[in-house]
Amino acid sequence: MADLDSKTPGAARRRGWLGNWWQRVGTLRDVPTQLEGMLLSLACIVGVLVIWWIITVGDGDHRLVDAYTLPSPAATFASFPLLWERGLSLGALTSLSRVFGGFLMAAAIGVPLGLISGSYLRVGAFFKPVSIFGRNVPIAALIPLTLIWFGTADVQKVMFIFLAAVAFIHFDSSSAARAVPDRFLETAYTLGARRNWTKGLRLCVIIALAYSMVASLGWSLLQEHVRLAADVKSAGFWLRALLGFALGIGLWFPLLSHQVLRKVVVPMAMPDVVNSLRLLFGLAFGYIMLAEVINPKHGLGALIITSQRQGPREHIYLCLLIIALLAWGIDRFILMIQRQAFPYLKYGQD
Amino acid sequence: MARIDIPAGSAPCEIAPVAANGTLRRIVEFDRVSKTYLPGTRKEFTAIRDVTFHVEDKPDVGEFIGMLGPSGCGKSTVLRLIAGLAPHFPATSGTVLVDGVPAEGPGPDRGFVFQDYANFPNRTVLDNVAFGLECAHVPQKERLERAWEWLGKVGLNAKNDAYKFPYQLSGGMNQRVAIARTLILGPRIILMDEPFGALDPGTRQNMQDLLVALWKELEATVFFVTHDVGEAVFLADRLYIFSPSPGSIVQQMAITPPDRKSVEMQAVPAFQQSVREVRHLLDQAGRVSPTAPTPA
Repeated sequence: MADLDSKTPGAARRRGWLGNWWQRVGTLRDVPTQLEGMLLSLACIVGVLVIWWIITVGDGDHRLVDAYTLPSPAATFASFPLLWERGLSLGALTSLSRVFGGFLMAAAIGVPLGLISGSYLRVGAFFKPVSIFGRNVPIAALIPLTLIWFGTADVQKVMFIFLAAVAFIHFDSSSAARAVPDRFLETAYTLGARRNWTKGLRLCVIIALAYSMVASLGWSLLQEHVRLAADVKSAGFWLRALLGFALGIGLWFPLLSHQVLRKVVVPMAMPDVVNSLRLLFGLAFGYIMLAEVINPKHGLGALIITSQRQGPREHIYLCLLIIALLAWGIDRFILMIQRQAFPYLKYGQD
Repeated sequence: MARIDIPAGSAPCEIAPVAANGTLRRIVEFDRVSKTYLPGTRKEFTAIRDVTFHVEDKPDVGEFIGMLGPSGCGKSTVLRLIAGLAPHFPATSGTVLVDGVPAEGPGPDRGFVFQDYANFPNRTVLDNVAFGLECAHVPQKERLERAWEWLGKVGLNAKNDAYKFPYQLSGGMNQRVAIARTLILGPRIILMDEPFGALDPGTRQNMQDLLVALWKELEATVFFVTHDVGEAVFLADRLYIFSPSPGSIVQQMAITPPDRKSVEMQAVPAFQQSVREVRHLLDQAGRVSPTAPTPA
């Protein structure tokens, strides 16, 4: 390490390219080229595979780790076709739609409520205890509660994701709204931005109708033993529609009825909001596994728990790998959308 | 009131005391205005004390008022009281009248230009300039046409820059956008809080020339806060000199408006003499505050 500190100009030339490269490795914040970065990541993957291979090579007692605890990489990847036959794609799709459902609901409530809390600070103060509670309660501890409230079907899994995510979304959205510098609000005021009830109300009604649809139709579709045709005739259906509509108005009217919020605060908070949604979605995708190992029916979590109980165990590792890849793919996808939607940001936030 | 004599004849800048004349309508009037933050607590802080002045609405002209004073003397507080921006607004005591009525919250009749431009980062240059018209529900086609026109007026190349985002512009160009965005609404009062403070000297002089040119057709009253004595003497019709905190106006003086470009003006001996005199006055105001002893 001593020659890292060497400052003699001739030293670099004598060291050769490997020596030079090693010196750059030791340089703070020296940016690798794209190829270099990819090769280094590849080296990590190869390293893990090699270690995995070394500790599982051989048969029977000659292995460092027995086949029951850890199957060999070859055996694991060879079992992929079998996993596909067990309904891998359906499982992944089921898990994803559950997370999407719960997460969209959480965002539909958490984002507008957060933006309101970050703009009308007294509303924020009112919701603060709920927010603190929601963010600090252990997520796994919500499982038994959701089982009591929502049974063991799809509704429980969706609601679990909703409950797990909504407080975080609310908090991050509130911070995003709060982080818009005063200067921009003051500028908007001096340029004539003001409260505008009528325009706000018109936009609001459209959004509220969407909320109403989700609360009435969406809820019916989630229930396992409810038929839509019959449900439409029930009073509960229309009560949910009405409540959904009221919720939509209540959440969006405060935001859309003021030009400063509609034209300045909300658009300027959006990049931060979307960024936080992207990160939280990754977390929510992890949490769905918690819900899916209970009453396992479809879903990647169900695949994992049945593989643990009935084998093949190789599928546990494959599922973990697929979950990580899927989450990463979705993350990149949202990041790509982010860059498209907010072209004025010089760089996407990782 | 100070009287500074400059040899007549070659003097483009004449400094003379202002004669009070109550016949014209007063566009802005401060009567013994004070602002104290957190009164009654240990953090109590008086930003301005007993500020009294008035600006007449000279028909078809307007006045350009330069405000000079040491840092933290409350120049910005005065500006923000006129604009109606919290937390400086409302005043703790005294009356602030705008066009004869007590000042209200912020509105488009009082434009504000900040030092850091505050251009909306998510809007293109054109949409930034059109923001005020958008809030007033001017139809899209009309507001964009007018914004396009204003880009030219502030010396931007509309074809090149209209669809750029603020981050793609230099500081000087950003400030041009901010000025266009304010002036497009035709405000009666324009408040500028060190608008060129963050620009390099060359850009700064260009901006000063631009402001002089625009102001001639604006017929608005401008309040211009600056730390740069040369800038104040160059731009202003009238100078207010503030004492240190708690600020109050200790000097008012009239100045002949500029008749040539900023860079040429800097070389005129009489202009340099005026700057020296004002700097001297500012220095005096800083040392002896008539309203209160300088706090430790």
